Amino acid sequence: MMVVDVALFASLASFQPDGLPGRHSRPIEFPDGFLISQVIEMLALPDEPRVIFVNGRHAEERSALRDGDRLAIFPPVGGG
Amino acid sequence: MDANTDSRLALRGATVAIIGCGGLGSNVAAMLVRSGVGTLHLIDFDRVEEDNLNRQLFFQDDIGRLKTGALADTLRRISPEVRLLETVARVTAENLAGLVGSADVIVEAVDGAADKAMIGNVCTTELPEVPLVTASGLAGSGSANEIVSERIADNVYLVGDLSSDVRDGLPLYASRVMVAAAHEAHVVIRVLLGYREP
Repeated sequence: MMVVDVALFASLASFQPDGLPGRHSRPIEFPDGFLISQVIEMLALPDEPRVIFVNGRHAEERSALRDGDRLAIFPPVGGG
Repeated sequence: MDANTDSRLALRGATVAIIGCGGLGSNVAAMLVRSGVGTLHLIDFDRVEEDNLNRQLFFQDDIGRLKTGALADTLRRISPEVRLLETVARVTAENLAGLVGSADVIVEAVDGAADKAMIGNVCTTELPEVPLVTASGLAGSGSANEIVSERIADNVYLVGDLSSDVRDGLPLYASRVMVAAAHEAHVVIRVLLGYREP
């Protein structure tokens, strides 16, 4: 198993497994080699536009995570 | 040279690409010109409509004009020296990097959530070294104090309350849109001056 620090922004914050409010990141355990897409599926994130970063850099959903990574998912909302 | 001279030169020598010349982009552009940014690249495909005037930096006699051209004329009235590049195009995942790749800072100032996500994903994938200032959450009548600016990734700065969505039927008030635009413009200035948000 590996531990990934998961930060979910804005409306996604309520999908954290602990169910607690707040956008701060939480360490979550996943099987080794888990893909970002599998995290999205496991957390049941809605199928809406999102921007994904791992360790401060953009990452594709098909990318595999590694122990100690920091995953951040941000869902933009409209208006401008 | 003193520090103020250095700062002026840094801003005058900079190029900022603004994707979208609506409520955010038109006001960001004006603030950057007033602050002395030397070159702006204005990108928008749309024309000015009457219902834009509630928050966008356009006037009755701009209605029907291309937003890029109308905005460029207004910006030159503020500063005849500013260098303006105008691109009339809808930004796509295919053309985005080519359009904005030479900028020192990119400002995302479009309407739709899907376009904001596309711009965020493409810029951070293809242009990871170019700072991106993006906005999310500025609709409605919530407190202006909920709108903040922060760095959410290495070169990505996010402005907004992150949650108020026009999709939920929230109106766009000039006051709150301009607060977000001012945050975006000020982040650009701080980045150009070498500051880094926490």
